[in-house]
Amino acid sequence: MGRQKNESPPALKSPLETNSQEKARAANLSSVAEGRLKLYNPQADNVRKFLDLLERKINRSLALSFVACVHCGLCAESCHYALARPDDPTMTPAYKADQIRRIFKRHKDWTGRIIPWWVQARYPRDDEGLNFLKNIVFGTCSACRRCTLNCPMGVDTAALVRYTRGLLTELGVVPEGIFNVNRDQWESGNQMAVTEKDYLETIAWARDELESETGIRGIEIPVDRTDCDFLYVINPREIKFDPRSLGDAARIFHCAGERWTLPKWGWDMTNFGLFSGDDRLGAYVAGNVYQAAARLRSRRIVISECGHGYRSTRWEGYNWAGRDQTVPTESVVITLIRYLRQGRIKVDPVKNPDPVTFHDSCNITRSGDLVEEPRWVLRRVCADFREMEPHGRENFCCTGGGGLLSTPEYRPLRLEAAKIKAKQLQATGAKLVCTMCHNCVDGLADVIKHYKLNLKVVQILELVSRALANGNVQS
Amino acid sequence: MSAFLRLLENEVQIVALLFLATVYLFRVLWILRFEPTRERTQPAGSEREGITYSLLNISMPWSMEAVRKKPGFYVQFVIFHSGVTAAIAATFIIPYRPELFQKRAVVLIFQIIIGAAFVVGLIRLRRRLKVPAVRLISTPDDYFSLLLMILYFAAAVLAVPNRFQAAEWPLILFFGLTAFFLIYVPFSKISHYLYYPFARYVLGKTMGHRGVFPIKKANEETAFGPPEK
Repeated sequence: MGRQKNESPPALKSPLETNSQEKARAANLSSVAEGRLKLYNPQADNVRKFLDLLERKINRSLALSFVACVHCGLCAESCHYALARPDDPTMTPAYKADQIRRIFKRHKDWTGRIIPWWVQARYPRDDEGLNFLKNIVFGTCSACRRCTLNCPMGVDTAALVRYTRGLLTELGVVPEGIFNVNRDQWESGNQMAVTEKDYLETIAWARDELESETGIRGIEIPVDRTDCDFLYVINPREIKFDPRSLGDAARIFHCAGERWTLPKWGWDMTNFGLFSGDDRLGAYVAGNVYQAAARLRSRRIVISECGHGYRSTRWEGYNWAGRDQTVPTESVVITLIRYLRQGRIKVDPVKNPDPVTFHDSCNITRSGDLVEEPRWVLRRVCADFREMEPHGRENFCCTGGGGLLSTPEYRPLRLEAAKIKAKQLQATGAKLVCTMCHNCVDGLADVIKHYKLNLKVVQILELVSRALANGNVQS
Repeated sequence: MSAFLRLLENEVQIVALLFLATVYLFRVLWILRFEPTRERTQPAGSEREGITYSLLNISMPWSMEAVRKKPGFYVQFVIFHSGVTAAIAATFIIPYRPELFQKRAVVLIFQIIIGAAFVVGLIRLRRRLKVPAVRLISTPDDYFSLLLMILYFAAAVLAVPNRFQAAEWPLILFFGLTAFFLIYVPFSKISHYLYYPFARYVLGKTMGHRGVFPIKKANEETAFGPPEK
């Protein structure tokens, strides 16, 4: 049965689940006791608190994004939610931004304070109003920044969404999935609560597997080695679900004769501070990485393939942590380019004969600097590389960005919006879709499964590792 | 010319303009009161290039996918804002360089530009009422501002011949509306042009620093590979 015109998605009616918050309170977690992880308090005047936070946390660029919107509606042309649900006006980015904009106007803007109805300015009535706001900013936007780049006025709706998420996170008005990952990052230093023992054992296992698989003797995955060329930081997914990715990196670094290390602490470069809007969490997680680099005297930080991890560690983390960047911080793709240019690894594209297309991660492409770089590598390691349309800065989100993979309550809407991505993927005729983001791997895999596409998701390290020519070892 | 019209064309406009300038000054001070963000990372691009690109973005319709998809929207934008510019120019020409509007060709050019803007205004009003996504986000201020602009364009078309000897009411309407505009604009969405350079500057600075602006095409690989990092 088809969806009725103008019907709002059920995602907008998701209630606030606080089971995990109750458990965290009962367990008296250190992050809760120390006030780092905030819990929802139904007895508190949350609207008042929200307004206080709004006042305290606003900055100039956000204020400008609040006041500059002219309600032209052009942003609807760029949002995959709006494009996938053309009959649902609540999917327009300006509408989503207006839910916080009207509060700003009521609280700060002259006209909004004097004649609020004239500019539709209003306060949230109660906690239900805050919960509605939660569903808008966490459930209907992946903060991909496509609308930002397509706004004639320069309104950064994605920044407004993240800002609102941050205010709500401070009040515990947050989807349970996001809360759980925030908790794990605060408590364990990584988003999947991997213990140090599991971490070290998985690394040892990955090393053994790699050695037996490749037959290369003396291959290493060093931990806490000092004075290396670089500190390699990874996504916990590489430890918990996909050690192959770490193995591919180790193999390439070994072939290039690299002196590198993983840290024992501060190895998680992913950062839910970006998704939850919690700058303090962002500063803590990114700070762990920077401290590890300083402690081990690494000459640079190399970030594994992860979109939001790259953005958080390379760009936002230094600002959140209030720390000037002194150590070069780069994506592993840049490291690969260096190896290829310097002839430190040799590759044979024939080893990747299947047609490959490339999916750009939003956080790398629209909030970061890498567009041509991954393509430069792919053209050298794949026999048949083809672009999807649109691509580069205009590529669509995998639909799993912005923390949406951790929020099952918003999954049906996310997958409905994913039909844009599915069409885009299908039109390439590729057999493999490559991405340089672990989050996108899961997001794309979900899209492929849901829309029954004949595609497999791969990453750059995997393709480079596969393309390595025989007799490549430098060291 | 009656004393009332002379007063309306001159002193009233100057007072209203001074009011606008004063309120704008407060608006700018209000914006500057918000803390700017401090960038602590090493750049991957040029802030200056990013800012320039961002500010000139509006003159590069090809640079935004949304505009490429809707070229008619951009054409409307150009016509509408040309009409605004022409109407504002007329408020200065009529009292200070009236001889310009004694040339039939000049009057005709102004009337065509402002008339076209009037039509675009009506198209935009229809769009705002008809397209559900735009209707949902529209506020009374959005409708009133647009209606006011449409009325202003109509008044300007009638006023630019500057034939006060024949009838003063088109000029009284035009300058009355101008004075009202000057007072109302800082409190309405029409003040977006004040925010525009600030918003684009801030976005351009961040995006330029990160190498996102100027937007590069994905296939801009040179013989030497991608840019050094």
